[in-house]
Amino acid sequence: MRRHPRAGDLALAAAVLLPLAAALPRLGWPADDAGAWLAWIGRTTGILGLAMLLLAATTSIRVPGWDRPFGGLARLWRLHHWLGFGAFVLLMVHALALALAAVPLGLPVALEVLFPPVSRGAIWLGWLAWLAMVLFLAPTFGFFGRPHYQAWKRLHLVSAAALLLALGHALPLAGEAWPWWLLGLAGLAAIAWRKLGSCRTRLAYRIEAVEPLARGVVELVLAPQGRRLAHEPGQFVYLAPLDATLAAGRGEEHPYTLASAPADECLRIGIKDLGDASHALQSVTPGSMAQVEGPYGDFFGRHPSGRDRLWLGGGIGITPFVGGARDLLARGVVDGQVLLVYLANRPERAYYLDELESIAERLADFAVVAHYYLERGALDLAFLAEHCPDFSEREIHLCGPPAMNAHLRRLLAGQGVPRSRIHSEVLDFL
Amino acid sequence: MNTVAYTVFVAFLSSVLTLVAVNALSSPDAAVPGDPEAITHEELARHDSAESCWKAIHGTVYDVTGFIADHPTPAAVMLEWCGRDASEAWDNKRPGRPHSSFAEGMLERFRIGRLVD
Repeated sequence: MRRHPRAGDLALAAAVLLPLAAALPRLGWPADDAGAWLAWIGRTTGILGLAMLLLAATTSIRVPGWDRPFGGLARLWRLHHWLGFGAFVLLMVHALALALAAVPLGLPVALEVLFPPVSRGAIWLGWLAWLAMVLFLAPTFGFFGRPHYQAWKRLHLVSAAALLLALGHALPLAGEAWPWWLLGLAGLAAIAWRKLGSCRTRLAYRIEAVEPLARGVVELVLAPQGRRLAHEPGQFVYLAPLDATLAAGRGEEHPYTLASAPADECLRIGIKDLGDASHALQSVTPGSMAQVEGPYGDFFGRHPSGRDRLWLGGGIGITPFVGGARDLLARGVVDGQVLLVYLANRPERAYYLDELESIAERLADFAVVAHYYLERGALDLAFLAEHCPDFSEREIHLCGPPAMNAHLRRLLAGQGVPRSRIHSEVLDFL
Repeated sequence: MNTVAYTVFVAFLSSVLTLVAVNALSSPDAAVPGDPEAITHEELARHDSAESCWKAIHGTVYDVTGFIADHPTPAAVMLEWCGRDASEAWDNKRPGRPHSSFAEGMLERFRIGRLVD
């Protein structure tokens, strides 16, 4: 992943700091005693924590194309996750620091800062907001194990209540109300869009064919029934199959990478049996309908660096590269050299390989080489050096199971490949 | 990240519970005077400047002279209420919003007597 900030990151950082910048002239700098420092820390962490909570809600939005200034939806939602984490931690520091700041005035005063008379309703709204945060964040941070995806998703809706309660806490107490109205409305609008508006961006597709690629892997071919999805190679979509005979996942949306080229009339999606929904899709009825939302992601990026490229794909992570290779073939040109290393356990699991080799035969600057784990062990430096001696100079895209990604990142970092030249997108828990 | 979130959560709960427990186990402050000094309106009115600033709030008189420089607002806001009943200002830090519990605790440090006719 690129390490330098993107345009979206800078906008987000500015929005996080906006309420604090508005409040600092009023808050000033604390006096030199510990109590004043704690009170100042309590106030600033409250302001920063609430800003992060409201922006975590804002960044939960899913609008095709809006994710790209942040480097794709997977990265945008990692930022969302970090913002939620920051808010949770800072808001607890906020409450505790304000209470400790009052300790020199006596413990009863400190306790009353935390638990005032009921007439001070705004403080109690803050506690309710915190309770709501615990409720929806405990599963996210795995306090009591990892929950089922759909249950987690439903519980995450409590975040809307946390948001409203937190605003109810802050607006009567805050010195400056306008930043909170601004960020609060943005957060609530994002949640409302997710729940009420986003379905309008879905496109109707018909599942034309279900082509088996290997055991437990199929490729769905989807034909548009109206407007056609415009996308770039390596992007992904949310697919919600509507086949009434599906054993699981009917109407549920799950993210899948597109294996088709942007120029193809039909969408193609490679699906591996990895869970209830993807298992059911292995035998989805041809002719049934599905909804497609997207495209999302920024796997290959929009701004080519001019360097040759090395693609490392394994498992179902080969699909963005299949889309990339099909796109090269459709356009008939390759910018620079592209080498795809297909990492599979054994030849029978190297689905798509025949097609990729056939594309390589027709394009002079595109090559593919297979690496089989059961024959050679994990990919090593000798293999890379043999097939791609200039790998450390190339832009490297990798996609595969987490263990493979981690191994390749270690291997490449060990050879001095800067992280800024290694690109991957993990569709984890989206 | 998950471990840090869980650790901070447990630390926060533990700290709040410790505050509650220590407060419950502490004996009430015996230093609170039973019958504070009586101060008349005339006496209060004599302390109406930055050199000596007394204020009456809900029947109790406070000497806040030493706090004027530390108060978050410009000094003029505090000085306006010296030497008289400042309950209205206390109850309306901003319109309709009283001062916080934190400020209430701090005010106690400046108590010098009770207002009498």
